Amino acid sequence: MEHAYLICCLIGQQRLAGLGMKVISKKDFDDFVDALIKDSSWNIVGVKAKDGKFVFGPLESASELRLDYDVTLLPPKKYFFPQRETLFTYSLADGFSAKSPSETKPLVIIGVHPYDIMALLHMDEIFRETKSDPYYFEKRETSVIVGVNIQKMSKWNFSAYMGCATIDWGYDLMLTDLGNKYAISIGSQKGEELLEKYAKNVMPALAKDVQLVSQKKREIMNMSSQKLDFPPEMIPSLLQRAYGESDFWERHSEKCLACGSCVLVCPTCYCFDVRDNPDLTLEQGERFRTWDGCLLEDFAKVASGENFRPTRPTRYRHRYFKKGKYLFERFGFISCVGCGRCSSNCLPDIANPVNLFNDMYREMTNKGVEVKPATPPEVTVETEGNIEYVPKLATIIRKTPFTTNETLFEIMLDDGSELGHKPGQFVEVSVFGVGEAPISLASSPTKKGSFELCVRKLGNVTTKLHSLNVGDRVGIRGPFGNGFDAEALKGKDLLFIAGGLGIAPLRSLFNYVLDNRKDYGRVILLYGCKEPRELLFKDEMLALALRDDVEFKPTVNWCPENEVWTGNIGVITTLIPQVSFDPERTYVIVCGPPVMYKFVIADLKTKNVQDDHIILSLERRMKCGVGKCGHCQINQIYVCKDGPVFNYSKIKGVPEAL
Amino acid sequence: MMKPKVAFFDFAGCEGDQLQVANLEEELLKLLDKVEVVSFREVMKEHSDNYDIAFIEGSCTRLQDEDRLKQIRKNAKIVVAIGSCATIGGINALRNYKDLDEVRRTVYGEHAKLFDTYAARPIDAVIPVDAYVHGCPIDREEFLNVVKSLLLGKKPEIPNYPVCVECKKNENVCAFERGQFCVGPVTRAGCNSCCVNEGTICWGCRGLIDNPNENAQKEVLIKYGLTVNDAINKFKLYFGWQEAKR
Repeated sequence: MEHAYLICCLIGQQRLAGLGMKVISKKDFDDFVDALIKDSSWNIVGVKAKDGKFVFGPLESASELRLDYDVTLLPPKKYFFPQRETLFTYSLADGFSAKSPSETKPLVIIGVHPYDIMALLHMDEIFRETKSDPYYFEKRETSVIVGVNIQKMSKWNFSAYMGCATIDWGYDLMLTDLGNKYAISIGSQKGEELLEKYAKNVMPALAKDVQLVSQKKREIMNMSSQKLDFPPEMIPSLLQRAYGESDFWERHSEKCLACGSCVLVCPTCYCFDVRDNPDLTLEQGERFRTWDGCLLEDFAKVASGENFRPTRPTRYRHRYFKKGKYLFERFGFISCVGCGRCSSNCLPDIANPVNLFNDMYREMTNKGVEVKPATPPEVTVETEGNIEYVPKLATIIRKTPFTTNETLFEIMLDDGSELGHKPGQFVEVSVFGVGEAPISLASSPTKKGSFELCVRKLGNVTTKLHSLNVGDRVGIRGPFGNGFDAEALKGKDLLFIAGGLGIAPLRSLFNYVLDNRKDYGRVILLYGCKEPRELLFKDEMLALALRDDVEFKPTVNWCPENEVWTGNIGVITTLIPQVSFDPERTYVIVCGPPVMYKFVIADLKTKNVQDDHIILSLERRMKCGVGKCGHCQINQIYVCKDGPVFNYSKIKGVPEAL
Repeated sequence: MMKPKVAFFDFAGCEGDQLQVANLEEELLKLLDKVEVVSFREVMKEHSDNYDIAFIEGSCTRLQDEDRLKQIRKNAKIVVAIGSCATIGGINALRNYKDLDEVRRTVYGEHAKLFDTYAARPIDAVIPVDAYVHGCPIDREEFLNVVKSLLLGKKPEIPNYPVCVECKKNENVCAFERGQFCVGPVTRAGCNSCCVNEGTICWGCRGLIDNPNENAQKEVLIKYGLTVNDAINKFKLYFGWQEAKR
């Protein structure tokens, strides 16, 4: 039980090692807090009582502090990643301007328990990965964390098992109650300076004080009334074995209210939604983000109505997998600190990870499944620059309606710069006051000066976009995602298979290939849609038919009597037997509605196409575009960041992908 | 741009939702920059049948009211149901659990025969509704948000998650932890958990979320000490019409 868990240590090593220990009388400590409160350059918050429970809140006096608390309703992450946070305010009058919220005063948080400190260290890694979240770090970096060792432990707490009932890093100051005084472990220079400036009668700790603190910390390790029956290192492998046990997940989630309480109170949950809030002039407003949760029904729903995690058991399972496996694979830590908030907030009492994991362990052991501890992966969290939440302003320069619901928009960035995208990437398009939606780039990067988006009228943003005209302004963020590796495909034969709107992302690569035609082998395009009138890019398709360096076969599912169609009739897969190609030389690039993939792949397999010769572009609810908000996640993959383009060999084992 | 013309209508209800609109005060004046009110019995004498957006309060409780509703639907481009009675049947639907003749006799005594009635129902049981402002009474902020959305040509974002989400964000102590009984876990959010914020409970005035786990919630109510009957009654207060439909 005393093993400090996993990569917690790794994070720790990057931090400053302890700078020694001091002691201060409780009276002098109160004076220290009061002196901080009096200095208006700080924002001082601490643990206070609320209706028989505890919360972190602004302190008016040291006497409000309740360092003897068990657990707070919400974790202190709310100060760095608030429940609702303005990303920027905008004004459409006089052109356009966007303003980031004004800076706030540096924060001192008094009374953070060790498990919540560990949770913040996890959040740091998550918000730092790939691109840094400026809103989180601007508050986090200026703040001071004054921790306190647990005096009373919540009956749901199992932090000792997760290796963070006590902690030796991650704080600026750490208090331990020694009766009439506090021992203060100094964790940073910032903490030491704060003490020097505002506290009186701070004495060096004597050997017996240091000993007493060690003894207290040992006692804390044994305060837990929860019991995990096996070492937590086994959680990732255990989950791996239990993924397909649908009966297990159904049984455990039968009483789930899908109320989201477990994830909303979690100190390591970070999913969010982004929305616009225009004021009554409709010309001004704000874009804000607010906590969201993967347990909620609409979390993985896209504008077309498709819900990628539609049932309670699948969402319930996702939560445990995210904490116990996906984040472990990404960062090397199990993203649960054992605070027990989820357990205590779940009315039907089904959210306690200890109960679930123990049940899982028992059932697996009974089945004779041998579960081994997971080896932490080699983790290098790379980060480059900040996330841009404020879009660039852009203007619609051409609007070509294809059907009643689909229009091609040609857009130019107002600052004259190139978007600089790769084929297969996407952008987040803003209509201010309405919101933001992910749209695939339909034009090749070889087209300079502007880019094209083929948009289907589905949700709020895309519907509003259709009502805009040439000259109207939109916001653009991105490009996002990995895109197609056009370089690696050089010299190969390419078979494009597009269903419906799936032609749009494929066109970005297809046109790129045509513009560099000599670099590629055979080029075949199979394109299907429901009926002739839904055919997109009609003129270009007609032009293709005249080229002798491209083989093109369109199909429609049906043709109404009053329309003319001379091509194939049938779903897209009916075209596959009609083309012969060399599976060794050919790479197949597929994009279409979710239902299409497995049928197309099955037919390609009959043509002996190897898995790694199949390249797919997937659609999910990409909201932030940078692998943070959680909406587009399929198992361990963030489609917005790891995709939307995937090699089939890499995702065929990902159960939620296809 | 021509200002859209709006009109307010009431059916069986207390008119408390229109009062919320009248009480918007300064915001109402700002709103009048964007819309023209052509009919609003609670605040003006004039009336016109030429309107784009119709706000309808109250439930439909008689067959003969259906014609009036259909006429409003015909006149308006957009129909918005406001308040629980209009959006989910509201308190009115409580009587659907009783014998309707008995209900008439209780209210009208010997004149009962003169007053026709049928099961109380929300507006969308009679005509298609384009947008909803839930609540008993409606929340002024949410009313404004819905109006702003309609003016921007956007479908109003009405949450399909329960009140618990807002309650947790507001860091309320759970009503159950305070020894009270609440239907927040199955009730559609959007009210910013206003009742629980004030130390009471969620009664469910915004109706059920799309796919509530009703049995689990009833079990919770009973586990925390309600009788089966009381738990069922908790659901009857506002969810009557929706439950009957499910």
